[in-house]
Amino acid sequence: MTASEIISVLWTWTPYLIAGFGWNILIAMVAMAVGTAIGAILAFAGVSSSPNSVKSSSVVTELSRNIPSVVFQFYLAIMLPSSVPGWIKASLAIAVTVAGFTSDYLKPAILDWRAKEYSKAILFVPNWTSYFLIVVIVSASASLIGVNEIISRCAVVINATDNVSIMLPIYLYASLFFTAFCYSLNVAMRYLRQWMLAKAKSAKANSQVSPTPIKATTETSSSPFIPSTLTSNK
Amino acid sequence: MNLFKKAVLCTMLIGNVQVSPLVYAANAVAASASTSTTAPPTPPTPLQPSETLQRIVQKGVVVVGVKTDYRPFGHLDANGSHEGLERDLASDIAKRLGVRLETVSVSSANRLQRLEEGAIDLVIATMGDTADRRRITTTIEPNYYSSGTTLLMGPEHHFKEWAEVRGKPVCAVQGSYQNRPMAQRYLLDLVIFNNARDAKLALRNGRCVGYLFDNTGVQNDLASPEWAGYSAPLPPAMVVPWGLAIARSEQGTDFERILGDTVAQWHREGFLLAREKAWKLPESKFLKTTHDLWNKQKADGTSLCVRQPDGHWIAACRNPAFLTTNDVDGLRALGLWFRELTSLDVTIAYDEYDRNRFIKGLLLTISLMIACMLGSLGMGVLGTFAANANVRGVKPMVRLLAVYGRMTPTLAQMYALYFGVSPLLQANFGFSLHPFFIAVWCFCFYTGSFIMTALMDGIDHLRETQPDFRLTVKTLKVVLSTANGAVKSAMINTAKGSMLASAIAVPELLATSTAIMTDNGNTAVMMNALLVAFFILIAITIRIIEWADRRFISNTGKAT
Repeated sequence: MTASEIISVLWTWTPYLIAGFGWNILIAMVAMAVGTAIGAILAFAGVSSSPNSVKSSSVVTELSRNIPSVVFQFYLAIMLPSSVPGWIKASLAIAVTVAGFTSDYLKPAILDWRAKEYSKAILFVPNWTSYFLIVVIVSASASLIGVNEIISRCAVVINATDNVSIMLPIYLYASLFFTAFCYSLNVAMRYLRQWMLAKAKSAKANSQVSPTPIKATTETSSSPFIPSTLTSNK
Repeated sequence: MNLFKKAVLCTMLIGNVQVSPLVYAANAVAASASTSTTAPPTPPTPLQPSETLQRIVQKGVVVVGVKTDYRPFGHLDANGSHEGLERDLASDIAKRLGVRLETVSVSSANRLQRLEEGAIDLVIATMGDTADRRRITTTIEPNYYSSGTTLLMGPEHHFKEWAEVRGKPVCAVQGSYQNRPMAQRYLLDLVIFNNARDAKLALRNGRCVGYLFDNTGVQNDLASPEWAGYSAPLPPAMVVPWGLAIARSEQGTDFERILGDTVAQWHREGFLLAREKAWKLPESKFLKTTHDLWNKQKADGTSLCVRQPDGHWIAACRNPAFLTTNDVDGLRALGLWFRELTSLDVTIAYDEYDRNRFIKGLLLTISLMIACMLGSLGMGVLGTFAANANVRGVKPMVRLLAVYGRMTPTLAQMYALYFGVSPLLQANFGFSLHPFFIAVWCFCFYTGSFIMTALMDGIDHLRETQPDFRLTVKTLKVVLSTANGAVKSAMINTAKGSMLASAIAVPELLATSTAIMTDNGNTAVMMNALLVAFFILIAITIRIIEWADRRFISNTGKAT
């Protein structure tokens, strides 16, 4: 296959791949919505005055942390009835991880909010959005349970083209969809976060309230997106 | 209304009948629906009315699971709809039942699950009728076809006997009944893939000496120009008859009876032989002898193959032997007893073969996790040093790589290396990349990018207070301790994601558990065992990493 043939195959199948990527984003959005709702409940329980709520919140958060979403996805795929669509099973599996993340990061934000450090508390928003990018990337594993998203569609293209030499280009091309999408959103988030950090600093300088100590989390990494004030242990 | 439909169904069945068994079954159906006024000639074994059959008649549609990757038995036509010999059979059954046919794609790995879930009513999907299968499903007798296992091998191999293949890598598809007995009997080193496409591709890429498959499927492949130079000279091993399957709970129902009678009709009328010819299959000895058997008559002119009062066909017309007989030793007996008592089939505890592969999968998963975590940390640290080195052009390049690395799905990277790069290396330099290495590399690239970004952020943060801070081997600890939260979570994350490696045939715990599950049908037990195993593994990983952080990184970090 010549380079121009490869490009023409990629071009022909681009609308099909874009539609597949739409599924990835849908899975990620549903996972974020469900996971955030559950995580918010956990976070509020975690900062409540009742010791029982705090305890059960931390147990559930720990549980959600320890189960790999890929394994849980297989679990749901097999244990839930086949009438439940695959993409919903994938979303639910990822939502468990999102719930853990939200619980971990919303808790300090709630405390900040109660301490009237609003601009610091609101940093949860760019962190949350950055986590969405990770979830978009993780959604690719839905292809393992047969969801017709972009990685599954690559196999369809390979079958239809019936030429082994398309395999490398097609997977690289598909991965560019993720990179392009995530990079643009990430740049936007970087600006938003810098602006918020600056605001938080000036607010701190005005009020001189000591920062709330925050325990570094062991939940899913979002390192490039977490302000270093959260990850450092000074 | 219901009764009326049943009566209509019976009439339709009788319409097709030439010999006694189907009338017998139809009468039994009628009797169970209390619409029959005449008693059957001999007292029949009471037939259970089938829930599935009731549903089929009510909805006016029978849902049949067929294959898409097994030409010419089940494959897709140019429009993407099902066709093949088995679809013809399904269509004939629908016709006889007087309902519409709906076909659903199934694979070797999921056909019996779909059946148990009630997603499909009937499986006609090249399923071998084995003793193990009979434990988890109801197989229809008589069998409708048969096949043996053979090896499709490349032009460079010329094995004459199975013994020569011993210990060699052989590509296979997950969920095929022959995998386990062939591996046990001939000591093959099976490389198991999710589907036939990937397994065949791996054979072409030289990942294995042959592709383990039914001789029927291989014959068809050999006929196509795509496989010129490939051959399958080994004698078929483990000849297994194929059976239609319905849910386990449907045993002894009128549905089982009607289907059995239908297959008997097929043999008698030569319907199967005709379909075999129509699909240009080589003549099968099985069909020929079965056709003769079912047309044999007793001295009084009645058919030889009839049902006994207990509902079974007479012994001469039944499947003579099943493939495997399991030796019952102490532990196995205990496991079987436990299964009778609780219906939990813990094969990984009592079955040596399953136990060994589960443990092997577990060990592989642990090594995968360790390699991924340490590799990612190493890659992240190296990347950070490279980005901080005073060499023109290196920093933006490393940064760019890190952006690409952390914004690309690991799965896409693994497929690209496994199916794209590795065959190129094989063709040009004569070596291929080991799947374990590919998986570890991809995870290290992905997670290493995260760790690198975290360390760079850490350095930026340190420079806020110490403007002349420089990264050296000595100050690395300070940087690590500054970014320790993010680094730790990235490492734990890579351990959690490592089971994606099963996608490229690394036989780790997830892959092994699904294989055990499809062999035994103990889905719930295996899925829960898997979940618990991973839960414990991750919990231990988190504790080890926290300990390593306290012991090696954070304490010194605080001192400086």
